Amino acid sequence: MHYKILTVDDSKVVRIIVRKTFRSFDCEIFEAVNGVEGLALAAKTVPDLILLDITMPVMDGVEMLTRIKADPQLKGIPVMMLTAEGGRDNVLKIAKLGVRDYIVKPFTEATLVEKANRIIDLKPVTESVDRKKSTLDRADILVVEDKPAIIQQLTEGLRHTPWKIQGVANQAEAMEQCSRLTPDLIMINLTLPDESAFTLFRYLRTNPRTMFTPVFGLVVKTDTAVQNHAQQIGFSSIVTKPIDVVELEARMAKAMNLDTSMRYFRLEAGHLIISLPEICTPAVLGEVGQYLQPKLTEAVNAGLNRVVIDIHAVRCLEMNTFKLLFPMMQACRDLGMNYSLVGNPQVITECRGVEETKTWVFHATLDEAKAHLAGEGAATALPELVET
Amino acid sequence: MPTTTAPTAAPIAETFVRENIIRAIGDVFQTMLGYGVQPAAAAPPDSAVGSSSRPSVPAIPAPLVVGTVGFIGKLNGLIYLYFDESLALRCTGDMLCMGELELAETGAESVNDAIGELTNMVVGSFKNCLCDAGYPCKLTIPSILRGSNFCVEPISHAQRHVYYFQCHGHQMVADIHLKSGE
Repeated sequence: MHYKILTVDDSKVVRIIVRKTFRSFDCEIFEAVNGVEGLALAAKTVPDLILLDITMPVMDGVEMLTRIKADPQLKGIPVMMLTAEGGRDNVLKIAKLGVRDYIVKPFTEATLVEKANRIIDLKPVTESVDRKKSTLDRADILVVEDKPAIIQQLTEGLRHTPWKIQGVANQAEAMEQCSRLTPDLIMINLTLPDESAFTLFRYLRTNPRTMFTPVFGLVVKTDTAVQNHAQQIGFSSIVTKPIDVVELEARMAKAMNLDTSMRYFRLEAGHLIISLPEICTPAVLGEVGQYLQPKLTEAVNAGLNRVVIDIHAVRCLEMNTFKLLFPMMQACRDLGMNYSLVGNPQVITECRGVEETKTWVFHATLDEAKAHLAGEGAATALPELVET
Repeated sequence: MPTTTAPTAAPIAETFVRENIIRAIGDVFQTMLGYGVQPAAAAPPDSAVGSSSRPSVPAIPAPLVVGTVGFIGKLNGLIYLYFDESLALRCTGDMLCMGELELAETGAESVNDAIGELTNMVVGSFKNCLCDAGYPCKLTIPSILRGSNFCVEPISHAQRHVYYFQCHGHQMVADIHLKSGE
């Protein structure tokens, strides 16, 4: 079930912390800065839980709570106080108004999740929600590694991504970091002293906030005993050193269930552009193939009928790449979409040397390919035969 | 601070104030930021300005970001938490998990809000202990002072206590003003 949580606090910082705290759970956060806004939003959204501060301008939390309890439409909504106002008498007085729980600031995210979970059955984000996250979104990656050079290598290697790499040296620092921010993915050096990698892994799997977070183990290639042990106890993936960062990035994106389609598909000025990268590994071709039909359908539904297949970056065309390009063109024809190709001298030469592809016509740039499609007007979708 | 009327509450012992503010700052900074904050035994000799007859505003390297929150009730009070700007930025970044660039984009508003909220939590924690000790009172909304070379003077008949702390190599100061209330 998708829950709605309303946080009412005049502090933007607290609202941001609340939002971050619940972002790995299947719930939607609404924000209000005072009691008046809070009441209006509560009436509009009918949340499943209200987190309520007390000391706020315009209307404080006690008055808002009193009004909620007097409103037949709202009085059933559970309210949890989240406030710096404590003291036994204060808490008792407010509790009598009908609150489900009371957190006195300062608070940890773990406390907030634990107490909220007693009121609503928090679940990690479902696949359908997760799919909305893409490789263009920020992700927090925690690397638990006592060798700074490895953290440096990962930071440098993934610098082109929007992912934020946070390196810590040991189990204690990792646990502290996780108590403040739920990472999207965690990498642990499996040979940390005293087998603390495994102790940390067990902690992560029993912590409600990290129990579903992908955890990768880092280890040298030859240490198969440790690799086997990590796989047996449930590490999501094992990464061997020396690290192939390109391959690691693909595995990380997959483990975080990120939508990677924008690496290959984009809409641009009335065209669907399909771009293949320099190196088309089987994983890359598999991804493109997986997204192909949905993306073409999406483009058709958006009223587009022009596709540019851009393979100018591809270093060399291998059989697997051909095996993707043929059905790609066929799918365009099936949907009545016009397409053109952009290539480099190397791939053009390779295509001319193959019977099935020697008639393919390439354009040197995207603009030329688009201009060609525009000139075709209402031409039917046929294999490219135009000479340039 | 509001004017007072008799009967008044008994003055709060300095030991109680000191232990309470050390606990409050320690708890808040550890819980929200994972920082260890150590009380400093005394102000450096050149840190005080103003009259020597009473505790003075500390001279933390400018520019300063000062959070202030009050409480009103049987005991009235104002607590100022002094941060140098770089410590304020660091606290904000860590509280919001933002890097320097991201923080720069959000402007001073985020820093003001974060320091206001940290101060609110510290003063709330301090004040809640007063409530449990028989001095019921309520918090006020946080506000922020920014600048250099300014001086806060207590009103007459107010107790004033100034405590120094060390946090990641930065000096931080709690300036507490107390006066009997309703």
